[in-house]
Amino acid sequence: MSEGQAFIQVKDLSYCYPDGSQALSNINLDISKGEFIALIGQNGSGKTTLSKCLNGLFKPTSGDVIVDGLNSKDTPIVQMVRRVGYVFQNPDHQLFNSNCWDEIAYGPRNILLPEEEVKVRVEEAALVVGLPELYFTEHPFFLTKGLRQRVAIASILALRPHVIIVDEPTTGQDVRQSFEIMDFLKDLNEKHGHTIMIITHDMPIVAQYTRRVIVMGMGQVIIDDSTSEVFKQADILAQTFLEPPQITQLAQLARRLGFDPGTLSVDEMVQQFKCIAM
Amino acid sequence: MNKTLLGYVPNESPIYAIHPFVKLFFLLVVSLFPLLFAAPDWNIVLMLVIVAAMWYSRVNMKTLRLYVPVAISMGSIILLSYTVLGGIHPEYQLLVNLGGVHIYWERVRDAIVVYFRILPMIFTMVFFLTTSRERDLIVAMRSIRMPFVVTYVFAMALRSAGMVLEDFQIVRQAEQARGFDSEGKSIAYKVRKYVMYMIPLFALSLRRSEEFTNALVARGYAFTGEASRVKRADYVLTHYRFRTLDLVLTAIIGLSFVVLLVLHYSFHFFALEDSWIINGLKQILI
Amino acid sequence: MSAIIEIEDYSWQYLDSSVPALNNISLSIEEGTFVGVIGPNGSGKTTLAYSMDGLIPGQYHGIKNGTVKILGREVEEYPQGELQQQVGVVFSDPESQFTAMTVEDELVFGMENLGMTIPEIRECLEWVLNLTNLGPLLNKPPYEISGGQKQQVALAAVLAMTPKVLILDEPTSMLDPLSRRRVFDVLDRLTREQKNTIIVIEHSLENLIPLADRMILLSDGQIVLDAGTRAFFQHVDLLLEKGISPPGAMRCFYELSRAGIYKGSLPLTVDEAYEKLTKLLVGRKRPANPQREGSQA
Repeated sequence: MSEGQAFIQVKDLSYCYPDGSQALSNINLDISKGEFIALIGQNGSGKTTLSKCLNGLFKPTSGDVIVDGLNSKDTPIVQMVRRVGYVFQNPDHQLFNSNCWDEIAYGPRNILLPEEEVKVRVEEAALVVGLPELYFTEHPFFLTKGLRQRVAIASILALRPHVIIVDEPTTGQDVRQSFEIMDFLKDLNEKHGHTIMIITHDMPIVAQYTRRVIVMGMGQVIIDDSTSEVFKQADILAQTFLEPPQITQLAQLARRLGFDPGTLSVDEMVQQFKCIAM
Repeated sequence: MNKTLLGYVPNESPIYAIHPFVKLFFLLVVSLFPLLFAAPDWNIVLMLVIVAAMWYSRVNMKTLRLYVPVAISMGSIILLSYTVLGGIHPEYQLLVNLGGVHIYWERVRDAIVVYFRILPMIFTMVFFLTTSRERDLIVAMRSIRMPFVVTYVFAMALRSAGMVLEDFQIVRQAEQARGFDSEGKSIAYKVRKYVMYMIPLFALSLRRSEEFTNALVARGYAFTGEASRVKRADYVLTHYRFRTLDLVLTAIIGLSFVVLLVLHYSFHFFALEDSWIINGLKQILI
Repeated sequence: MSAIIEIEDYSWQYLDSSVPALNNISLSIEEGTFVGVIGPNGSGKTTLAYSMDGLIPGQYHGIKNGTVKILGREVEEYPQGELQQQVGVVFSDPESQFTAMTVEDELVFGMENLGMTIPEIRECLEWVLNLTNLGPLLNKPPYEISGGQKQQVALAAVLAMTPKVLILDEPTSMLDPLSRRRVFDVLDRLTREQKNTIIVIEHSLENLIPLADRMILLSDGQIVLDAGTRAFFQHVDLLLEKGISPPGAMRCFYELSRAGIYKGSLPLTVDEAYEKLTKLLVGRKRPANPQREGSQA
């Protein structure tokens, strides 16, 4: 998965808000190309702040964030966002054009791409997020939340960043919509090679789609490990107001019976049952 | 530290011993004092009294530094509009003629008088805002029996201002995250692009207001009709008792105003002719 | 026990929509029941919630057919402000439903609107603080407390008005898992102490299922399934088809049922699942490998 240097290197990152409060303390981590990561932690633990440091919106108070060889302190934001895209939690914060086409074209036009290239990118992005052509002329304000979110993601995709950070992709969505969004994030990762990071509270989704989990609490990284290993540490998770998905909880309760405390899915559980019962 | 409308005040500040009504009364009455003081000397004394009050209330004096550029630019504007833009007045004493622009003594004098009248008014307002929490403001208004709707709208306006500012930050970041770069572009460009910020802010407010209205209705708040005339218990007022100290302070402020009123109108105190500053300045310039 | 909520052949169509949000719904809820309402987005759950509180048709424009009766009276017949004394609603966004400047003001706001006197307010406030442990937060403004705490305040503020019916519309969708648990803990305590009728609309089923007496599935504006909780979850096939995902533990046993390994009602909680799992494995191992039992570490 990783060849040579990691795509994103975070070294001793600390960030203080203007009013003096400490948001991040001494974060160290590496993100390689092609990873699918979940960033979890209680509200206020610094997840959003960390993401904004990664795409250059926030400059570190101390420490370094190096993306694709560029140090965020020395690089203009415009350069950084072409490598790390961040989709805001509430699409209403970014949608302002009168139709979806212009909305998605906004990014490429900002970086002054020729109009033919813009057209290619818009159509490509719309295809990837599954936005039907008939919505191109619709006003984003009147679409449902799910569609607005897709337009928002498409508008970031149009910049073709390698890393895509999505803040709360499944909040407020029902099961089907959540799977749809997560499935195309999975496509982006597996078919197109993008590095994906999601910020979420939805533990079953984390268990099903992500391979690595970074747990944050009080501005620090508490655990950074594979999904399965992270969910085994239920007591540490509880400190930052989290718990493993229900199926993992069941497996952990049933540890004595021979179940793996790092079980992530119902299928795994059923398989283990069949093995143990035989 | 407790957050006030304009900054922070430590928990142990003596200002908390005073009923919010007294603070409001202070603001309303003392803002009128400069109208009685023609001589800048007195207004400067008043300003120093207010600054002393701020220091006594343990306000962080560094916040005052924010107002220095405001004070300077305001003073310059007043001076300019009174002198350069003041026009030709042969009956005034000419100080200097700068290529057709006549600078008159009377104009300069008037500018100074006006400036030193406005400053204490602003300081009183700043004093009030730096020592009052949002709740104090609401309590003060309720204690003078202002209609609930007015105080409530006021409170919500304060809160929305905070939320809109927060939203604005996020919207700005969202645009930057899509490659928007206003560095090195002209002001005209930046203004044109402002519409980008307005639309999401507007959209957010619209959505929020629908939910907010539903919440108000769900809490039994009636906008019109029989139910809207219900007698409100004003529970928050039970936390604030009007004590002797408050009574004394209110009396002092009220009496001071009356005394100053009498001194000014009956005995012509605080007049311009008696001002050391004005007379001194006149001697230097003429 | 009489039905506290009676909905008959009720349809509602928003003015700007071409299809009804709710289509000929009939529903009867007895006092004191805890009902869970689930369904995909757009199925009409929020419309149903708002219809029971008078927000529809009070605040929204549309076409209404049929009747919605609370305590025997049509929703529209209640004078302004009276229905809200009987039916309280907690919305999903903690931020937009915070209507006052501090927590205490928020808790007291509803009571003041109802014209309660100061001693009455004091009493109710104390009760609600005991129930929710919000005491330390009383003087805090909304921007100093978390989303989870704001939702607890919202719940407390509504409870302080002592409504007979409590409706919660996706109260935990914006909260982290432990804050979610806390909100449901308050509901749990409430069901044991009082006899409120509680209706919760949720996507997250794990916390809802242990508390609900009855579950309703809405889809495309119609009630597709309406049954007591255990009976409700006999129909997992239907639930899956309609886009509902049962919680992990239950799903596991559903799969075991489909594989012919398990027969019986599906577990509603993790603990119940564990119990059944233990029984199942002990039961199965005995005939196959008698020694293994002893050597299980």
